[in-house]
Amino acid sequence: MSARTQRRRLVGATIAASAAVLLAAGCTSNEPPQQEDEGGGGNAAAAAGTENDEPGDEVVIGFSAPAADHGWMGAITSAARAEAENYEDVTLRVAEGTNDVNLQISQIEGFINDKVDAIVLLPFDGAALTEVATKAMDAGIPVINVDREFSSPFAARATILGDNYGMGVSAGTYICEQLGDNPDAVVAEIAGIDSLPLTQDRSQGFKDALADCGLDVDARVAADFTVQGGEAAATNLLQANPKIDAIWNHDDDQGVGVLAAIENAGRDEFFLVGGAGSANMMREIQSGDSVVQATVVYPSTQAADGIKLARLVAHNKSMSDLASVGVPRTTTLYAPVVTADNVDEFMSIGFES
Amino acid sequence: MSEPTIGARTTAGDDIAHRLPGQDAGTAGGHQQAIDSGSRRWSSSGAARNGGLVVALALLCVVGWATAGSRFASLQNVEVILSLAAVTGVLAIGMTFVITAGGIDLSVGSVLGLASVWASTLATQAMAQQYGWVVMVGCALAVGLGAGLVNGVLIAYGRVVAFIATLAMLAAARGLAEIIAGRRTQIVTVDSFLDIFRGDLLGLPVIVWIFLVVAVAGWFLLNRTTFGRRTVAVGGNPEAARLAGINVRRHTLYLYGLTGLAAGIGAVMMLARTTAGSSTNGTLLELDTIAAVVVGGTLLAGGRGTIVGTVLGVLIFSTLTNVFIQNDLNSSVQAVAKGAIIVGAVLLQQWFARRDTATT
Amino acid sequence: MVSDDRHGGEAAHDAMERTQAPTATAAGRPLLEMRGIVKVFPGARALDGVDLEVLPGEVHCLLGQNGAGKSTLIKVLAGAHQPTEGQILIDGEPVTIPSPVAGLKLGVATIYQELDVVDGLTVAENVFLGHELDSAGFSRRREAARRTRELLARLGHGNISPHREVGTLSAAGKQVVSMARALSHDARVIVMDEPSAVLDTGEVATLFRIVRELKAQGVAVVYISHRMEEIRQIGDRITVLKDGRTVAQNLPVASTPTRELIRLMTGRTVEFDFPPRPGVPADAPVVLDVENLGLRGVFEDVSLQVRAGEVVGLAGLVGAGRSEILETLYGARRATTGSVRVDGQRLRPGSVGAAVGAGIGLAPEERKSQGLLLDEPVYRNITLSTFGRFARGGLLDERAERKVAREQVAALDLRPAQVERAARTLSGGNQQKAMLARWLVHGCRVLLLDEPTRGVDVGARAEIYGLVRRLADAGTAVLVVSSEIPEVLGLADRVLVVAEGRVVHQSAATEIDEHRVLDLVMEGSAA
Repeated sequence: MSARTQRRRLVGATIAASAAVLLAAGCTSNEPPQQEDEGGGGNAAAAAGTENDEPGDEVVIGFSAPAADHGWMGAITSAARAEAENYEDVTLRVAEGTNDVNLQISQIEGFINDKVDAIVLLPFDGAALTEVATKAMDAGIPVINVDREFSSPFAARATILGDNYGMGVSAGTYICEQLGDNPDAVVAEIAGIDSLPLTQDRSQGFKDALADCGLDVDARVAADFTVQGGEAAATNLLQANPKIDAIWNHDDDQGVGVLAAIENAGRDEFFLVGGAGSANMMREIQSGDSVVQATVVYPSTQAADGIKLARLVAHNKSMSDLASVGVPRTTTLYAPVVTADNVDEFMSIGFES
Repeated sequence: MSEPTIGARTTAGDDIAHRLPGQDAGTAGGHQQAIDSGSRRWSSSGAARNGGLVVALALLCVVGWATAGSRFASLQNVEVILSLAAVTGVLAIGMTFVITAGGIDLSVGSVLGLASVWASTLATQAMAQQYGWVVMVGCALAVGLGAGLVNGVLIAYGRVVAFIATLAMLAAARGLAEIIAGRRTQIVTVDSFLDIFRGDLLGLPVIVWIFLVVAVAGWFLLNRTTFGRRTVAVGGNPEAARLAGINVRRHTLYLYGLTGLAAGIGAVMMLARTTAGSSTNGTLLELDTIAAVVVGGTLLAGGRGTIVGTVLGVLIFSTLTNVFIQNDLNSSVQAVAKGAIIVGAVLLQQWFARRDTATT
Repeated sequence: MVSDDRHGGEAAHDAMERTQAPTATAAGRPLLEMRGIVKVFPGARALDGVDLEVLPGEVHCLLGQNGAGKSTLIKVLAGAHQPTEGQILIDGEPVTIPSPVAGLKLGVATIYQELDVVDGLTVAENVFLGHELDSAGFSRRREAARRTRELLARLGHGNISPHREVGTLSAAGKQVVSMARALSHDARVIVMDEPSAVLDTGEVATLFRIVRELKAQGVAVVYISHRMEEIRQIGDRITVLKDGRTVAQNLPVASTPTRELIRLMTGRTVEFDFPPRPGVPADAPVVLDVENLGLRGVFEDVSLQVRAGEVVGLAGLVGAGRSEILETLYGARRATTGSVRVDGQRLRPGSVGAAVGAGIGLAPEERKSQGLLLDEPVYRNITLSTFGRFARGGLLDERAERKVAREQVAALDLRPAQVERAARTLSGGNQQKAMLARWLVHGCRVLLLDEPTRGVDVGARAEIYGLVRRLADAGTAVLVVSSEIPEVLGLADRVLVVAEGRVVHQSAATEIDEHRVLDLVMEGSAA
């Protein structure tokens, strides 16, 4: 008899478990209105239209990038896809995003074997992918290196880089403009992952720009590019500094958490400058009643640029606004500051974080 | 020379043979002195172990007060430390049960991420706009509990090692969260949810209240209920527990359900803190959680667990981060200090425990 | 020789056996001597005066039941444990063996039952593990292979390649590697802990060939086993351990009857007054009814009945399937055939919860690993099966728990009488009392006792016997398993003899004597 009760209880537990799963499933997923146009940047640029955009020979471009585990990286790939779709002469082969260097190398080897016309490569690790990129170049396939630089100049036909140091400079310069007349102003910085070179570059640029107008970084914390990390770091930062005039937050993904912390603390005596340029932050800027006054763009259209350049190289064309023949070897993109004045024109390249 | 001798050494026993069974034969065996060394009261050693943690926390506070003054030693800062400890704290309470029972749950951080994403999808939020915040909370708890029960079924009935089963869940839940969220950050816009969980109650943030309630409930559950007794028994000696008639497997299932539920509660708190559901929510929280539990004095091997120790462990880490940021020290130094604290606290505990056995 | 006429009736023999005549084979100085070895662990006296004397080139068998102290003794000899008292002599010189490495240096090597080879390494790497051959830091693999080949040839296994990965070898092959390693240390004494336990019949024959080779080379082998037939084949002299003591030393294998050896292993060395048996009324209800119970490969077709107030004993050697019978009818193992009924209600097989719910309690053989929560207080151990009763809505009333536990502690004279004390600190006898107290609180209808006096010192045994009888008198059906035949005969009303997984005899305890039980046991295991 007790055996039976026990079995009944077990059955009960199983039913409870399945019920829990079903209930959770009832909460359903994200389907309905989540269809915003991916990588609007491509569309905007295409609208500009030049004679270079006129159809030419069929071009097959191989594209490989790290896993889109981050809003910005997701935007990179979708912008690249969207850009390719603007050209009827471009066939884009997108390898599955990966953070495994070996897998990425084999993806490039696959492109070489398939004899694609050009490769756009955002390597997980620049140095590690240099050799296979050189191999592609040797095989006569031009490689366009995006964002993370190879360790050899022979590994890429053209290189497109964001400007991390420049981001820091842009953010620092903007803050200088706003606070320049007050040398005692308290400036705080919420960095990303401290051990990454890109974080160090951004911080250095920020420091240098501030020094130019007699300011310095009074308080600095590091988060980890996640919402929860931004929230925790900002909470402690705000508590440790009762009065702040300006904060630069390196990354708009973690910015969501930073904003939550600011709201928690009920603070608004300062203004916040973001980094990367997410659509979220741009909407905050647009609203006009947020502590977010500006954000510094780290273009998520780099790979889209890479597609355009790859096509030009394959077609043996030059960049239309340059007098020189041939696509330039290195392009460092500008890190513009988005403010309420110009947010409307940047909204289209803001990525959904 | 090799003389075959039989029974050469049984003279001691011979003496006993003539005693009557009713007599006090127990002391005749000559074993008593070996036994008396361990006559300590069970409960006092637990208090001593927590004593080490209290000392460590007090030291940290003294350092904080000395270096940051009133900015550290303010009610507001205490609130900040508690708020930041709250999410890890709730996870750690759940984890204390699993570890006490001799298991481990590596998936709590990922499950928290999954639950936070699931509870903040546009569809869920649309339902919540209509029916209230209960929808989001129910969804987060159900997802957490569901994932925990999946772990539990695999471990208890599928006989998968806990480390592996929950490692698999760590990967799978994070992946599922990414798929659902499409790697986007989902901002919470349900006002009823934000009003309640981002609000204050009697001067303390609601999420701190949740932490306190979970901690008190956890303490009662572990120390005062049959569930807690079973947990300690299963961790202390699973075979003995089984032969005493305890349904070890079913209890194991419940335990992982419990940590999953804790992760669901943590997800609600995380949504409230960050106002966003993100697949990165909860990243690496499993390690912070396990560190806090172990520093708190719960045995990784099972059989002994302490909720008070766990709460102290969580507070030590939270206070440490706070003290460092108050002094504007960088994150690398913090990481080193965190490592030192883990080792230091464990050494201190052992020292207290040794002193405790030596003096009583 | 000990005469057979001393085994009749109530099995009362002297604790002291008479000194025997010197053995003919004994010649020359002992290679290894252990004198009066005592090893005390907290709460237990594992060795309580062990003597051992091993001659060069002999196979010296160490005989004893589980828990007699064999494992502890070989750990002392290997240097893994330090003796509390006593002396070890090698070549007549007193030595101390502070570590296993020191033991190897002295020429004592041990082949453990759970073979300590590294599966992922080659044979040669295993043989020289810990003392790798190298010059200037470079391993001399060819030299190691050559010497390994030599050692394997010495063991009659030149066919095993030194380069083979050990993981691919059978248990017997691994054992050979382990022995080669012992020889690589120039071992003069090799201790083998139940080496045949992992081998099949053909492999055992090979093992014996190796042992004879070693013997011929002057190596002394200490051979541990409780399989009588093996000892007959390979042994020269025998030392018998019981309860941590040497009860007989240097018995010549050739002239000592098996029955005498079993008696030494299982018999009483001291006399007990067993509580009187009031007799079970014929109309007492059958509480436990086991029908055709079987567990594939272990035992089969066991049927037995225990009435209220009756104590039934299961006698037999270790490995005969006694413990497994108890565990199966308790639901800890899932029976493949048959049924178990308590008060006529059939139990769900394979469910301990069902058995406990129906009122069965088990005091397992391995109290520490199967019965107790050693770090938990005594009262929680006593209420481990019943704490649910002390709870209202899941909330425990520990005060009530402690009160009940204190009552039991007083009733059973459990010492020290502190219910807050950790179970680990109790002696074996008092731990057993705590186990009994658990089932007394539970108020069980059927009590299963597996080796109730194992590790219990002599004084406390009588108390345990008294308790068991009191429980029976109160109407509990008791089923006792014991390796000690006099214990079964003295305590039980009815006796079942188990051999080779079958019940070979069943009768009232008064109708059978130790003599007859030994014969039955041997008929079963001599096959």
